[in-house]
Amino acid sequence: MKFIVSSSVLLKNLQNINGVVATNPIVPILENFLFRIDAGTLTITASDLQTTMTTQIEVEASENGSIAIPAKLLLDTLRSLPEQPVTINIDTDTFGTEILTDNGRYKLSGENPIDFPKLPTVTKTQSVEMTSDVLLSAINNTVFATSTDDLRPAMTGVFLQLSSDNTTFVATDGHRLIRYRRTDLGTPASSSIIVPRKALQLLKASLPEGVPVTAEFSQANASFTFGGNGRPTTQLICRLIDERFPDYENAIPTNNPNVMTIGRTDLLNSLKRIMIYANRTTHQIRLSLKANSLTISAEDLDYSNEANEKLLCDYDGDAMEIGFNAKLMAEMLSNISARMISLELSAPNRAGLLIPADKEENEDILMLVMPVMLNTYA
Amino acid sequence: MDAFYASVEQRDNPDLRGKPVAVGGSRQRGVVAAASYEARQYGVYSAMASSIAVRKCPELLFVKPRFDVYKAVSLQIRAIFADYTDLIEPLSLDEAYLDVTDATGSDRTATQLARMLKERIRQETNLTASAGVSYNKFLAKLASDYNKPDGLYVIKPHQGLDFVARLSVGQFHGIGRVTAARLNDLGIFTGLDLRQQSEAYLTQQFGKVGHHYYSIARAIDERPVTPNRARKSVGSETTFEQDLTDEPDLLAQLEPLIDDVWDYCERTAIRGRTITLKVKYSDFQQITRSRTLLSPAVNRPIIEHTITQLLQSILPVDKGIRLLGVSLSTLQPINMTPTGQLTLNW
Repeated sequence: MKFIVSSSVLLKNLQNINGVVATNPIVPILENFLFRIDAGTLTITASDLQTTMTTQIEVEASENGSIAIPAKLLLDTLRSLPEQPVTINIDTDTFGTEILTDNGRYKLSGENPIDFPKLPTVTKTQSVEMTSDVLLSAINNTVFATSTDDLRPAMTGVFLQLSSDNTTFVATDGHRLIRYRRTDLGTPASSSIIVPRKALQLLKASLPEGVPVTAEFSQANASFTFGGNGRPTTQLICRLIDERFPDYENAIPTNNPNVMTIGRTDLLNSLKRIMIYANRTTHQIRLSLKANSLTISAEDLDYSNEANEKLLCDYDGDAMEIGFNAKLMAEMLSNISARMISLELSAPNRAGLLIPADKEENEDILMLVMPVMLNTYA
Repeated sequence: MDAFYASVEQRDNPDLRGKPVAVGGSRQRGVVAAASYEARQYGVYSAMASSIAVRKCPELLFVKPRFDVYKAVSLQIRAIFADYTDLIEPLSLDEAYLDVTDATGSDRTATQLARMLKERIRQETNLTASAGVSYNKFLAKLASDYNKPDGLYVIKPHQGLDFVARLSVGQFHGIGRVTAARLNDLGIFTGLDLRQQSEAYLTQQFGKVGHHYYSIARAIDERPVTPNRARKSVGSETTFEQDLTDEPDLLAQLEPLIDDVWDYCERTAIRGRTITLKVKYSDFQQITRSRTLLSPAVNRPIIEHTITQLLQSILPVDKGIRLLGVSLSTLQPINMTPTGQLTLNW
């Protein structure tokens, strides 16, 4: 078996799916890329059993066949080569693989492709078309707020609620919750699934801008296919998290009479400065709200550090003080692009809601953050 | 309320009516908590040592206080107030400021309302009360003291300045014996004398409170009537039968006081950072020693340890100690989680 391909095209395709390859996989074969040639189309597969990615390129090939090639060796080789057509020669009996270039000849031993796990099939029950920009925006807005706590598997992914007139993406780690809703995305029948964090992070890394994406869901798996228009066709298939997602709607307080509206970057920049003076483990800051004025303060008793800033804002609720983890809050503010945001509050021990005041079209973002109970050091 | 504790005792025990009555301990170290008007004619007043009171009025009848009953009556009175306004600021069990701005109008003046309140209190508790009506807290308090018992006095806006001018400074609410004496030393005897001082002079002499004196001499008091003032400290104290000097004896006396304070903390889920020891010597000289911790005292041993150290700091003493007190301030509610970060409830 033999094929000829541009070194840079091959490298680009491999880098696109390389994120799936685990450094220390359960099954050693998963340290390899699976190459399969069928009528001049090369399909490369990488998998960690939970998530599988494939990418396709047209190559010059005279015969069909398969081989598993060590991912790291191949990538390191291609990275170091100047751009050129390379010829890859495979002995299908011994799985010996030879890379022929202008610079020289490299030989590595491949593995039996039969050992590579079969690609899971998505018997599609739901299918939705979207642009990569919409999917990227949904991922960027939610994935950072997922939990890393394996004891709460439901929260280690993003909850997708599909219905006929919108699609809702929800992520929570117990301290905060993001609800990102698209009104330009829907499926004829309602359903809900939890997509694991890793799959979404891989999508985020490999999704080009402005391409169509087809998402298909079955009971157990989800598949995202994108590319075309001269780009390689890439598919990501992941196993869904089979858990019940928390009843998030009930956690969102509905009666929040104290609403502050302020420039997002003003608030974010102030938080970043004040945060430097907050306790390094709790990142606790204090927001004091009075008529049209916000005072942000922090103190680190261990080092006698303290700081405060006063900002103008639009506020006509009750005067109140509330504590937050500045890191959580800054992260949330960094992830939205709105010019103005509203912080809706009820009481110092109830959740605060961060909501963009100027909405993008077809987009509805709600971010909830739980407060920190303040010690009153007067 | 007029001679509150004593009046309640006289109401509930016909044998006491028309006689000089003191509520409080009759023992060597007792103090008069309240004196009936009959007793006051002999010069017996509240906070007077019982031994002195007996000397002034040998037929004085001592009654043990029944705080449960006083509290019940107090609640009764507050319920009456609550029928007319929500802005009630209790000063003690038997005194409160009421902001009746919204409870009065074209159909009812504040004076008429005060008369109604007095009448309802008489009907529902069989006790008399005195009311003061004016346009700020300072004057209302002065007015209520002006015409006791069963009094009602009104200081109208145009009368405020003259009323204050005529008073001796010792009659001002918030100026006690010591401050009055200091004012007298400075040649300030009446409200008028006080009004003639500059604000700078008064703040220089008395610090921050000098500003307050400057205002009240002009009958100005902007303090709002604030219901439910948050408690700022919790304390317990006791006067001994005999003066004490030895550390073990003093520590033994502190035990129940620390219990009282800690019980309050437990009951209300409040913790405090500042621990104060109050000491009154046999010659009535009083001192306090306090320590503010970095974080609130989370258990009883921390309070006990700190109090012990504070006590040791004043030992040995060269005169007897007649009273010890323990108090906790810089109060705050207990955190919900160790770091204070709240989590979603699922």
